[in-house]
Amino acid sequence: MWWGGRGQSFNIAPQKEEPEMGSVQESRMPEHRSRQPSSCLASRCLPGEQILAWAPGLRKGLEPELSGTLICTNFRVTFQPCGWQQNEDTPLSSEYDFALVNIGRLEAVSGLSRVQLLRPGSLLKFIPEEIMIHGRDFRLLRVGFEAGGLEPQAFQVTMAIVQARAQSNPAQPYSGITLSKAGQASGSRKPPVPLMETAEDWETERKKQAARGWRVTTVNERFDVATSLPRYFWVPNRILDSEVRRAFGHFHQGRGPRLSWHHPGGSDLLRCGGFYTASDPNKEDIRAVESMLQAGHSDVVLVDTMDELPSLADVQLAHLRLRALCLPDSSVAEDKWLSALEGTRWLDYIRACLRKASDISVLVTSRVRSVILQERGDRDLNGLLSSLVQLLSAPEARTLFGFQSLVQREWVAAGHPFLTRLGGTGASEEAPVFLLFLDCVWQLLQQFPADFEFSEFFLLALHDSVRVPDTLTFLRNTPWERGKQSGQMGLSAPTISGLQDELSHLQELLRKWTPRISPEVHSKKRDPHTILNPTEIVGILKGRAEGDLG
Amino acid sequence: MLGKGVVGGGGGTKAPKPSFVSYVRPEEIHTNEKEVTEKEVTLHLLPGEQLLCEASTVLKYVQEDSCQHGVYGRLVCTDFKIAFLGDDESALDNDETQFKNKVVGENDITLHCVDQIYGVFDEKKKTLFGQLKKYPEKLIIHCKDLRVFQFCLRYTKEEEVKRIVSGIIHHTQAPKLLKRLFLFSYATAAQNNTVTDPKNHTIMFDTLKDWCWELERTKGNMKYKAVSVNEGYKVCERLPAYFVVPTPLPEENVQRFQGHGIPIWCWSCHNGSALLKMSALPKEQDDGILQIQKSFLDGVYKTIHRPPYEIVKTEDLSSNFLSLQEIQTAYSKFKQLFLIGFPPLPPYCGSDNTATLLFSPSSAYQLPSDNSTEFWDTDIKWFSLLESSSWLDIIRRCLKKAIEITECMEAQNMNVLLLEENASDLCCLISSLVQLMMDPHCRTRIGFQSLIQKEWVMGGHCFLDRCNHLRQNDKEEVPVFLLFLDCVWQLVHQHPPAFEFTETYLTVLSDSLYIPIFSTFFFNSPHQKDTNMGREGQDTQSKPLNLLTVWDWSVQFEPKAQTLLKNPLYVEKPKLDKGQRKGMRFKHQRQLSLPLTQSKSSPKRGFFREETDHLIKNLLGKRISKLINSSDELQDNFREFYDSWHSKPTDYHGLLLPHIEGPEIKVWAQRYLRWIPEAQILGGSRVATMSKLLEMIEEVQSLQEKIDERHHSQQAPQAEAPCLLRNSARLSSLFPFALLQRHSSKPVLPTSGWKALGDEDDLAKREDEFVDLGDV
Repeated sequence: MWWGGRGQSFNIAPQKEEPEMGSVQESRMPEHRSRQPSSCLASRCLPGEQILAWAPGLRKGLEPELSGTLICTNFRVTFQPCGWQQNEDTPLSSEYDFALVNIGRLEAVSGLSRVQLLRPGSLLKFIPEEIMIHGRDFRLLRVGFEAGGLEPQAFQVTMAIVQARAQSNPAQPYSGITLSKAGQASGSRKPPVPLMETAEDWETERKKQAARGWRVTTVNERFDVATSLPRYFWVPNRILDSEVRRAFGHFHQGRGPRLSWHHPGGSDLLRCGGFYTASDPNKEDIRAVESMLQAGHSDVVLVDTMDELPSLADVQLAHLRLRALCLPDSSVAEDKWLSALEGTRWLDYIRACLRKASDISVLVTSRVRSVILQERGDRDLNGLLSSLVQLLSAPEARTLFGFQSLVQREWVAAGHPFLTRLGGTGASEEAPVFLLFLDCVWQLLQQFPADFEFSEFFLLALHDSVRVPDTLTFLRNTPWERGKQSGQMGLSAPTISGLQDELSHLQELLRKWTPRISPEVHSKKRDPHTILNPTEIVGILKGRAEGDLG
Repeated sequence: MLGKGVVGGGGGTKAPKPSFVSYVRPEEIHTNEKEVTEKEVTLHLLPGEQLLCEASTVLKYVQEDSCQHGVYGRLVCTDFKIAFLGDDESALDNDETQFKNKVVGENDITLHCVDQIYGVFDEKKKTLFGQLKKYPEKLIIHCKDLRVFQFCLRYTKEEEVKRIVSGIIHHTQAPKLLKRLFLFSYATAAQNNTVTDPKNHTIMFDTLKDWCWELERTKGNMKYKAVSVNEGYKVCERLPAYFVVPTPLPEENVQRFQGHGIPIWCWSCHNGSALLKMSALPKEQDDGILQIQKSFLDGVYKTIHRPPYEIVKTEDLSSNFLSLQEIQTAYSKFKQLFLIGFPPLPPYCGSDNTATLLFSPSSAYQLPSDNSTEFWDTDIKWFSLLESSSWLDIIRRCLKKAIEITECMEAQNMNVLLLEENASDLCCLISSLVQLMMDPHCRTRIGFQSLIQKEWVMGGHCFLDRCNHLRQNDKEEVPVFLLFLDCVWQLVHQHPPAFEFTETYLTVLSDSLYIPIFSTFFFNSPHQKDTNMGREGQDTQSKPLNLLTVWDWSVQFEPKAQTLLKNPLYVEKPKLDKGQRKGMRFKHQRQLSLPLTQSKSSPKRGFFREETDHLIKNLLGKRISKLINSSDELQDNFREFYDSWHSKPTDYHGLLLPHIEGPEIKVWAQRYLRWIPEAQILGGSRVATMSKLLEMIEEVQSLQEKIDERHHSQQAPQAEAPCLLRNSARLSSLFPFALLQRHSSKPVLPTSGWKALGDEDDLAKREDEFVDLGDV
C-alpha cells in the first residue's frame, strides 16, 4: 500500500509580487492589525488570492502545540505558525495548506461534547473553541482558538471557510486564479509535455509508436461526436471519417473504439465504451463497427474491463476506509493494523487491477494479439488498464516524459471525469480511480525500482496536485470543458506540465537522496525493449506483504 | 492465486485454480537422460561423516514456477544429513550459484534442520514418527529453514523404502545423547585440517582479558570489575567462567546462591549508566529461607543503589512481558504460512528421467490441505493470517521493550536491571537489542558476533534445548534466538547504512543454527561445552577437541560469496575526530533527554520538509502519539523520546531506534519467502536498486583509483565489490537464494475469460450477438 498524500501541495509556489489585498480583509481586522502585521500574511499569497478572514490559533493534536494564525483566503485555508519564515530554497508549501477543494470535512468543536459538522452553506451555531479540518489527502488540521476577546474572530474565520467552500463551487471555478499573472506566465511558454490538444501532438505520438495502419482523425474537432472525447484521436487508416461518425453513434456517449497504444510487434490496444443500448444499427453501421473494432487484425480479443475489477462504489468505499485507517486519529491498535488494512480491500483492488493489466500485457506483447478494452463509460477503468498495460509493456512509458504524456493521453485527453471522481461536484459518483492508478504505479515502482525514471516522490507530487486549483489538468471533467475554459481565457491554461518546473527542481533535490541513473545510462545499460514480465508482477504483496509505508 | 495467467479471482472470491499447460522441451529430456546414464552423482561426505542408509530411484519433485517435474536420484541418510543425489544440480553449476554453501548443498538437509516429516498414504497426509507399520508412497520433509522437500517412493524397492524411511525418522526424531552429536565425530576426524581464520577478531569472552577489554571499551571499568570466581565452574554451571559485577560486590555473594541474585554487568553506556542482568533466586515456600533471600537481596541492592551508581530500574522479564510459550505458539503458526508444499501431482507414469508433468486440477489428486495450501490461496487473507500468528506483534513488543530500556539509560541516566528466572532467554534478547541500538560497535560484523558471543553463548542461552537439537524435550523448544535475529532484521531493514552486515548475513546465520559442525549453537552453556570437550580430550589422551565456531565464515562460504555478507553501503565511523565527535554526540543526546527544548530551538524543524524522511517521521510521530494517548500504561517519557528521536536526522553512528508502528514491522522476506518461487520478483525489488548502487560505487572507486594513480600515490584502496551481484542483469528479489527457479519457463496464459473474436466469417455469424450486447 502506498501512503499517498502526505499532505503537501507542491504547486503553490511562493510569489514575489504583492497581491491585491481584498477589501473584505480591510474591514474585518482593523483592531488586531498590530498583533499580526498584514504584510506577513500577505507575503505568501498567490496573485489573485484574497484573504477573507483570519484568527490567531493554536495548532493542536501534535506535540508540541504551535501558536500561529489561521487564515482563510478565496482558495485555501492555511495555518501559519508564528515566526514562520518562507524558505526560499524549496518550492514546497507548508503542510498546513488546504486548498478549499481539498477540505473533505469541517468540524467546529466547543467544549468536550459540542461538535458541529459544517457543510457548505450551514450556519455556525456557537463560538468554536476548536476547528478540525479533514483533508481529502489524509491530513487533519486541528486549530484551537484563543479566548479573551478574540472569539468574534474565531467565529468569523470559521464562517469565512464555510462560505468560501460554498463559493468555490466548480460552476465558477477559480477564475480569479487562472486569470492571474501566474496563469499567464505559465501559459506563455511551451508545455514540456504534449498536451494532446492539437493534431500535431497526435501525429507526433502516432509516428513515435510507429502505428502505420492508423491515422489522426479530425472528426471530433468541434466535439460534436462526443464532448468527452478529445478533439483528435486515432482510427484505422482505411476507415473514413463518415464511417467513424456512423460507428461511434452506436457506442455509449459516442465513445467508439480508438487506438490507445500500438505494440511494435504489430498488435494494438484499443479502448471503447459500451454499445449504445437504444441504437438500431443497419448493416452498414455494423460493418463500420466491426471494421473499427478489428482494425485490420483477423483476431482480436474483447475484454470486458469491468469484469473482476472493483466498481466505482467499491473504489470509493475502500478509499474512505483507507483514509480513515491512515488518519492520525484512527483508532486501530497497532497489532490490528494489518487486518484493518486488509479490511479496507484497497490492496485487493490494486491487485485485481495489476493482475488484469498483466494478463492483457501478455496478450498484447508476447502473444501479439490485439485487445479491445470495453467499459460502459470508457472513462474510468479503461484508462487505468490501458495505462497500466503500457507501463508494463513499453519502457518509454516508464520515463518521466513518457509517463506524463501517458497520463495526459489516457486520462486527461481521454476525458476521465476528474472533477466528479475526486468529489468536486458533490457526493455521488465520487471514486478516486486516478489515485488507485497512482497506487498501482507505486506498487510497480516498489517492485521494479530500476525500471522507472521517476521516483516515488514524483508520484506523491502528482497525487497532491490533483486537488490544487491552479492547474486545469485535473479539475475538469472533459476535454471540451477544458478547452472551453482556456478558450475563454484566451490562453492555454496551466496544466499538469506546469508542475514540470517545480518537479525538475524537486528531482534535483531527490537525486541527492535517491541515486538513480540518468535516462542515458539507463537506456545504454538495458535492452530498451525490456518488458516487465507480467508474471513477475503478481508477487505484488507477499514480498512486501506488510503494507509498505514506502 | 495471483498467479500465472489466472484472469479470475477479483475481489474476495477464490480464483479458479489455473489449468497449467506444460512445456516439455525435448532437448531437455534428452540431455538429462544422457547425464544420468553416464554419471552417478557422488555423495560428498564431511570428515567423520558416515553413510547410514540409502534408496535409489527416488523421484524428487522440482517446482519450476507452476510446472512441476520429477528428478530421479538417490536419497541417502548419513549421520549428518539427508541428501538427495540427483542430476538437477547440473543446472546450477553455472557461475550464478557462487553463493553456495560448502557444507550444506542445495539438496542437503542436516538432521537438525528437519522440522516435520509427513508421509502420504493413499493420498492422505500423515505425520510420521516412531515405528511404522506401513510405509508411505511419498515423503514430505519440512525443514527448519522452511524448505519443503517431496520425494516419491513409488518406484523404489520396498526394502529400500523401509530402510530409508525408518532411518530418516529414527535419526531425525529419536532423542539423542549429547555425545552422539555429529559435532564430536567431525571434530575428532577433522582435528588436523581445522583452520581457524586468523583475521577473525570476534571476541569470544572466554578469557578474563576479553571481559576487561570490553569493560575498557565501554568505559565501564570505573564501577565494574571482571571476576574469575567461577573459574572451572566451581560456583555455578550456568554462568561463564568469567563475568563482570559491580566493583564493591563481595565475591562470596556470588557463591551464596550459585550466582542467582547477583547483578551481572552487560554493558555500559557512554553516560555511565549500565545494563545489568540478574537471574532470580529460586522460589521458596519456606518463610525462613524467604527471609534470608530478602536480606541477601537487600544487601545486594544496597551496593548498587548508592553513588557512584545511578538509580536502578528493575525490569522483570518473567512477568508482564512475553512468555516463552507465546513465542513458540506464534512462531509455529507463523511458519506454516511459508511452508508451502508443491501443488499435488497426478499419478505419474513415464520412463524418462526427467519428466515435465502435465496436470490439471481436476485430474490431480489433492492432499488434504492443512498446511500445504498453495501460496496464492492464502493471499486474500494474508494480512489477517499474518496478524493472527502475532509473530510480528511479538517482534514489536520486543523492540518496544528495548526502546523503553534505552530511554531509561540514555535520557534518564538510570541503570537498568533485567530480571529473569535464568537470565538466559529474554534477558539475552533484550540486552542484545539495547546494545545494538545504543552501541554502534555492535553494528559492525565483528561487534555483532562478539555481542552474540557475550550475551547468548556466554550468557548461557540454552541453544541445545531451545532448538531442540537433541529431540529430548519438545516443550523446551522456543525460537528465542530466531526472534532476536528477526528483530535485528527489522533494524537492518529500516536503517541499512547503519549496519556492516546484510540481511543475507542474518539469513545464513539463522541457517547455521542447524549445522552441527559448529560448536556455537550446540551447547546449553559454556560449562557444558568445556566439560564435554575436556573429557573427550582425556579419553583419547590427546589435546582437547578443536571445535569450529560459526564465525569462521570461510568454512561455509568462498571469499567471493562472503562479500554478500558485507554491506557495501555501510560507512565506517571516521576515526580522526574522535574526541570532537564524542562531544557532539553527547550534546545531541542531551537534547534528546530534554525533548521540550526541541520545540523552542528551531520552529522551522517541524513544518518544513527539509529532507524526505522528515515528513514521514512526523507522520509516524502522529501515529505513535495517538497510540500512546490511547494506552495509559506507557509513560510520556517513552513517547517523547521516541518522537523526538524520529524527528531528527539519523546519525548512523549514534543511537538507533526502530519504527514500531503497525505497518513498519515487516516480514523477513529473504528468510521466509526464499524457497517460494511465486514470491520472487525477477529483476526487481530492493536488490535491483542495490545492484545499481553497487555499479555506481564501483565506478566511483575506479575513478578514485585513476586519480590516485595520477598522483602516484602508492596504493589505491582495493575495496572488493560483490561481483556476484553484477553477474546477472536481472536478479531475483530473493537473491542470493532461490536460484533454482531462474531457468523456469512461464506458463501460458489461458484465454478463458476473454471473448475472442474470430475471423471475418466468425464475426459475421456473431453479428446478432453484438447487437444483443448493446441491448442488454
